[in-house]
Order: sequence, then C-alpha cells, then structure tokens
Amino acid sequence: MNIDLKEFFTFGKNEGRQPLFRDTLKSIPIFAELGRRELAAVERILHKREYQAGEVIFRQDEPGLGMYIIESGRVSIIADGAPGQVVELGDGEFFGELPLLDGGSRSATAMAKTSCRIYGFFQPDLFSLIARNPRLGVKIVMSLAAIIGMRLRAANERVEGLLHSAREKRGAEKTARSKGAR
Amino acid sequence: MNEKQSATLNRWIFIGGLAFFLMMVFLVPGVVKMIIVAVLLAYIFDPIVTAIELRGLSRTASTFLFFAFVVSIVWILASFLFPVVVGQLVALQSGANAEQTAGVILRLQAVIRAKLGFLGFGDLNLAETIDHFGTYLSSRVVDFIVHEGPTLLIYGVATPFMVFFLLMDGREIKKGLISIVPNRYFEFALDLLYKMDVQLGNYLRSQFIDAMAFGVLSTIALWLLDVKYFMFIGPFAGLANLIPYVGPIAGAFPAVAVSLFVLGDAAKAIQVVIAFVILKLLDDMLIQPVLVAKGVNLHPLLVLLAIIVGGEMFGVLGMLLAVPATGFTKVVLQESIVTLRKYRFTD
Repeated sequence: MNIDLKEFFTFGKNEGRQPLFRDTLKSIPIFAELGRRELAAVERILHKREYQAGEVIFRQDEPGLGMYIIESGRVSIIADGAPGQVVELGDGEFFGELPLLDGGSRSATAMAKTSCRIYGFFQPDLFSLIARNPRLGVKIVMSLAAIIGMRLRAANERVEGLLHSAREKRGAEKTARSKGAR
Repeated sequence: MNEKQSATLNRWIFIGGLAFFLMMVFLVPGVVKMIIVAVLLAYIFDPIVTAIELRGLSRTASTFLFFAFVVSIVWILASFLFPVVVGQLVALQSGANAEQTAGVILRLQAVIRAKLGFLGFGDLNLAETIDHFGTYLSSRVVDFIVHEGPTLLIYGVATPFMVFFLLMDGREIKKGLISIVPNRYFEFALDLLYKMDVQLGNYLRSQFIDAMAFGVLSTIALWLLDVKYFMFIGPFAGLANLIPYVGPIAGAFPAVAVSLFVLGDAAKAIQVVIAFVILKLLDDMLIQPVLVAKGVNLHPLLVLLAIIVGGEMFGVLGMLLAVPATGFTKVVLQESIVTLRKYRFTD
C-alpha cells in the first residue's frame, strides 16, 4: 500500500525522524558533508513512498523530478534497448539523481523488484530549500555537481579507453593486412 | 493489501475527499469562504515568512515574528486612525451639511425633470427616493449586524488563526496531501502542485499589492480633495479594484455620492471622477504591467461571468474572490494539461 494515512493526518510531521534513516542518508555521497541539523532539514523535505514488487517507480522518457533513496528493498533499473536489467540496487543506494539538476526526462525505467520503502528527493523541494537555506542548498548542489563531474570523468575515461582499444585494434588489423600483403 | 486494492482505496479516498468538499460548499458555505480567504492570505504572505526564515529562524519562530509584526502595525494604525474613523462615523450618522445636500438634490431633480421629462421622469421625487433608500439601507445594515455579527466575529477570529497555521505548516500540509496520491501519479501531482504554487502565488500577490496600491492612492487622492469618509472610501476602492471593469466604477461611486449628497458640491464630484480616472490610468499603465502576472490573462466575458456566479453564490465576498478563483482554476487547468501531456498515463 503506497499511502500512509498516519503521515497524511499528521501532515507528514512524523516522517523522517528515525535516526537509522539519518545514518542511511549520511552514507549517501550527496549528503555525506551535512551536519546533524542539516540532515534533519533534508529529511523533512523527503517524500516517503512504498512500492509493491513489480510496481514501476518511474518510466523511461517521462519527465523526471528528482532522485530516490532506497531505505529497504531492491530496485531494478531497466533501459530500452539494453538486454535485461542494467543494474539492481538495494538498501541505502540511490538512483535518478540527474533530473534533480536538469529536470530532464528519465534515461531508464526503475521498477521495484521486491516490496520497497523509498524516499524521494525532488527538484521543487530542493529549490524551496535553496530559497530558505542557501548555504545548505549550495552544499547539496555542489555535492551533486561533484558526483555528476566524477561520472562525466569516468565516462570520458571509458570513451578514451574504448577509442584507444579501437585504435589499437585498427593498428593491429593494418599490420596484419600489410603482413598478409607481403 | 495488493497493488490493485491499494489503487482502488486511493481512488475512493480521492472521490470521498472531493464529495466531502462539495458537500461543505453547499452545506456550510461560510466555512468554505473562510478557508478560501485564509488560503489566499497564506499564499500572499508566504514569501515574507520565508524571507524571515532565511535569517536562520525556524518556520514557527518566523511565523510568530510575522504575526507579531502584523499585530503591531494594525495596533499602531488603529491607534492613529481610530479617532479619524470614529469622527467620520459620527459625521456619517449625523448627516452633516443636510441643508446643502437637500439643495443639491432639489437642483438635480429639477435638471432631470426638465431634460429627461420625456422619459417619464416628469414627476420624479428624488428627495423621497433617496430618503427611502437611506431608511432601507440603514435597516439592512442593522439587520446584517444583528444576524451576521456573531458569525463574522467568529470568522474574524478564526481566519487569522487559520492563516497562522497555514503559514506555519503549509509545507507539511502539502506534503500530507501529496502522500495520498497513488504512486503512478505521484511525480505528476508534485510537479503540478509546484508549478501551480509558483503561478498562483505570483498571481495572488500581484493582485493583493495592486489592490493595496490602488487603495492607498485613492485614500490619498480623496484626502487631498477633502472628501469626507476618505478612510472608508479609499480602502473600499482598493478592494473593489480587484473586480475588473465593474470594480473601478463601484470604487468611485461612494466618493461621488458623498461629494454630491453629503458635501453638496457638484464640482467636487467632478474632481473625484477625474481623480479616479487618473488613478485608473496609472493603475493600468504603470502599476499593473509591473506587478500583475502575465500568465493569468482572463477573457473579459469569463471575468464577468465569474463575477456574476461569485456574487450569486457568496455575495459581495464571492464577487471579490471570483477573479482570483477563476485565475486559480485557469492555472490548475492550464498546468494540468501541459503536465499531463508529458506523462504517459495510458501505459
């Protein structure tokens, strides 16, 4: 069941106060640099959602609003054109963080593999947090930028590696062809 | 509970909520009016509380501080303006310049009889008509105070309380509402709510500032022209200005009436009309283009229909709320359509 009537009638005030989840939050690179009070401020803007096994969390190419953090359960990331699942994520892991920055569409589909409890962290709430507490907002955005930068660097290295091996392969083929011609 | 049962439950909660709201509208319209006014005020004042929060205070402390500031301002204004208002009320009751007024009425009656006699105004008795109207009006005012007074007092106390809690817990309330949206529509609902929040906030705040500016300018203009009861007529003109087309005329009408029938000065009435025309031009050419959100352009016919429906359902307050409520509906529909197109709910 994905609705929490207790949360509805308490206007979400009971949510996000478990210290255990705060530890999970602290282990996520985006929030790793935050202090106790800052983490509590982040917790207040998270949306708790519960998914059944097989339920879609978001679909590829649909507009994305932000990222999800898995408190418990397993989530499959599936991309059109790729065989099977791209990756399977579990407790404490997060996904879909790119739309938090660019508000763009989802590059893959996320589906609950088991029953999951997930926390959503969305762009409108991040904007509102930046408006109220710019220092905390900047910390989060900088961490996000660092993660995206790291991934971009890793992707660049991977592309360079692929180019390098392609060049080597082409060189080897050329040598083999010239040897054959001789 | 499986996914299908959960979706069915969510759907029933939505239908139940909507049915409950509609039932409230018809059974206790006063409460609904109060909620609408409180929500609109909370929207208007939210950025101020957020700005205080920006100084490092908690939301609760910021809301308290804002309310303390508002109460102080009201207190200071009341202590300054109370003697003026009481003086104007006493003058209103005693009907100052009665002789001069009677003179103007008789002159006006003679002009109408002479020029418009062919229209059946030959045996017009303006003094008697005005006297009847005055008696009717005062009986209605007394009737209103006796019957609606206690309710108004309760609303007057309850509305600021409601605004306080909406300002303090507004974010949590929105979060609580979002929490009951089914998973499939959750991101869509959040996206929609956020866009509506921004557009609606801008629209309501611009309307409020415009009404305030027009009210203050009208009060100053009437004070400069030495029109009596300017402390009542000015703010009324500001409020009336919220109603397009009809509002500016309705706002100027009391000032013209006071000049003609209380002061007995036709020249002053003309000056008042000129002042209101200048103010309206200023409002249309300077204030509104700067303030009023461009996103919510309403068709004149739609505005007029909304005012009539609002007036039929909730009286004068309904007329005042008709345009913001229509703007709200337009924003909701507009954003719903734009956002819906981006999501593939047919899957």
